Amino acid sequence: MSEHNGHQGSGRGGIKMLSPDSGGPREARGGLAGEQNTYYDLPLVKRAHWRWEIVTYFFLGGTAGGAYLAATLADLFGSREQDKQLIRLGRYIALVGMILSPIMLIKDLGRPARFLHMLRILKFRSVMSMGTWALTMFGVLSGLTASHQMAQDGLLNWLPAKFIPRLLKALPIKLIESIGSIFGLFVAMYTGVLLAATAIPLWGRSRRILGPLFLTSGLSTGLAAISLFLSPQRKQQASLERLETAENIAATVELGLIAALIPTLGPLGKPLFKGKIGRLFTSGTIGSGLILPLLIRLLWHLSGRKPSAATGISASLLTLAGGYILRHAWIHAGRASAADPDAVHYYNEHEWKGKQ
Amino acid sequence: MGQKGFFTDTTVCIGCKACEVACKQWNQLPSDGYTFTGNSYDNTQMLSATTWRHVAFIERPRPITQGVDKATNWLMMSDVCKHCANPGCLEACPTGALIRNEFDDVYLQPDICNGCGYCVPSCPFGVVAMNENDGRAFKCTLCYDRQKDGMEPACAKACPTDSIIFGDLDELHERARKRVGELHERGESNAYLYGVDEDTSVGNLNAFFLLTDRPSTYNLPEKPKLPQNNISEGFLTGFAAAALLTLATAFSLWSRKK
Repeated sequence: MSEHNGHQGSGRGGIKMLSPDSGGPREARGGLAGEQNTYYDLPLVKRAHWRWEIVTYFFLGGTAGGAYLAATLADLFGSREQDKQLIRLGRYIALVGMILSPIMLIKDLGRPARFLHMLRILKFRSVMSMGTWALTMFGVLSGLTASHQMAQDGLLNWLPAKFIPRLLKALPIKLIESIGSIFGLFVAMYTGVLLAATAIPLWGRSRRILGPLFLTSGLSTGLAAISLFLSPQRKQQASLERLETAENIAATVELGLIAALIPTLGPLGKPLFKGKIGRLFTSGTIGSGLILPLLIRLLWHLSGRKPSAATGISASLLTLAGGYILRHAWIHAGRASAADPDAVHYYNEHEWKGKQ
Repeated sequence: MGQKGFFTDTTVCIGCKACEVACKQWNQLPSDGYTFTGNSYDNTQMLSATTWRHVAFIERPRPITQGVDKATNWLMMSDVCKHCANPGCLEACPTGALIRNEFDDVYLQPDICNGCGYCVPSCPFGVVAMNENDGRAFKCTLCYDRQKDGMEPACAKACPTDSIIFGDLDELHERARKRVGELHERGESNAYLYGVDEDTSVGNLNAFFLLTDRPSTYNLPEKPKLPQNNISEGFLTGFAAAALLTLATAFSLWSRKK
């Protein structure tokens, strides 16, 4: 009986026995002396329930934001003549992303019929509240932009009300897409901060990197989605070349951010870099999602020849898959992090010490 | 009206679980299933959407008095939603379902919650949870309905040793401090208050505890952090990255030919 302590299954350190003269656990708590206990290794915090719907939404929102930004910048600073297709693709990809995104989000809700409750308030301390409003604004503006594009492309001429395509064509599109891009960037970025503003150790500790990382990944996948459809088309070389430069920059930045995670997280990074999720993340995102496309483009560039359509398509698909896997890995690694009480204590301890 | 809360004195808890039963009965919460965990007498394990009071049991050998080799000393603690001064769940909620009511307690309005689940990972104590069958999130209401009728919460009413005491926060603090003083005089110098005079970003807890071991033993965080304090850093780097990437992309896509 005396050998049986209530600390089953942990096998580390056991319970610190406190002598009556020690002044009590307050001292131990203040200096966080010694190893903290766990309660039968049961989780201390609770994980987010999010599944593939939210992984998919993160991916779609980021891609839509990235594609929309590319279309906007090409329209403002690129070649109106050469980049016609690029701009068209960027706007339509953003539209598709913004139609599917709310569907994913509403489906994930526990009470989907109440989705409009999200718009009851605007709370700056809730990243989800800010994101909901940004998503709404981006949806409206990217919808307008896409409608303008459809009118330009003659896709709305079948409407009996002839004034609609005329009105859409007359919209101040540079203004709309400039403002829209700001919301688009926010949509791509806020999902990272959404994760960071929780009590999950892996996510909380990565707070400086998650926003930029999800944004860069969204830009990568947005550009890749455009180049995917642009590669097989003829006479798009000029656009593709400039697009490639942007893709290379985004991929390099993304690799840098992921590298920065390792010293930032320390042992908290175990769920992300080790085990099943770790292998998926390393091979799927880092390896084939970022390094491989960069290598492919570099090799073609060195050979002096123009990349074939097949190469372009492959590189784009790899980037897109890598972006999806990144979101999947972060959500699932977060589950493992939430289930680990030691991680919570480690995280809290370091955050507290950082404050002193 | 005043601020209302709980003072849970674990030194008089007898582990009868009347609080768990009373809470379930009053709030008509379903059972959590039939599991024997083998973790002492704790078969409930943690707070959940359908368990709003959870009694923790820790058995440990401990030298209590001189001359006695080893005796087993039990730690029993009735865990509950902390109703924090700075609640992570409330700040996270995008629909405004989570509010501070007139009794200064954190209340989740079930008619507004749409089940987004963001409050769940935002609680530094792992209290609030989603009910998979219902779709919404749930937690202790501090018997808001009973309070409105001038009654004390079900758990406080049921507790046979008055380990759970409900009342005005100021009065509870006074009573708790006195109790800690008494215990210290009797040689129980490990006694302290958890959730009072806190210097963490979560602040004080309306439902506070008298504990006799470090918080992690009871599965409580020692220095809980308000998760929303991560937001400004997150957006700062995020906006900086947005600016830089926009510039880089604009530079890449720039063409002299118009």
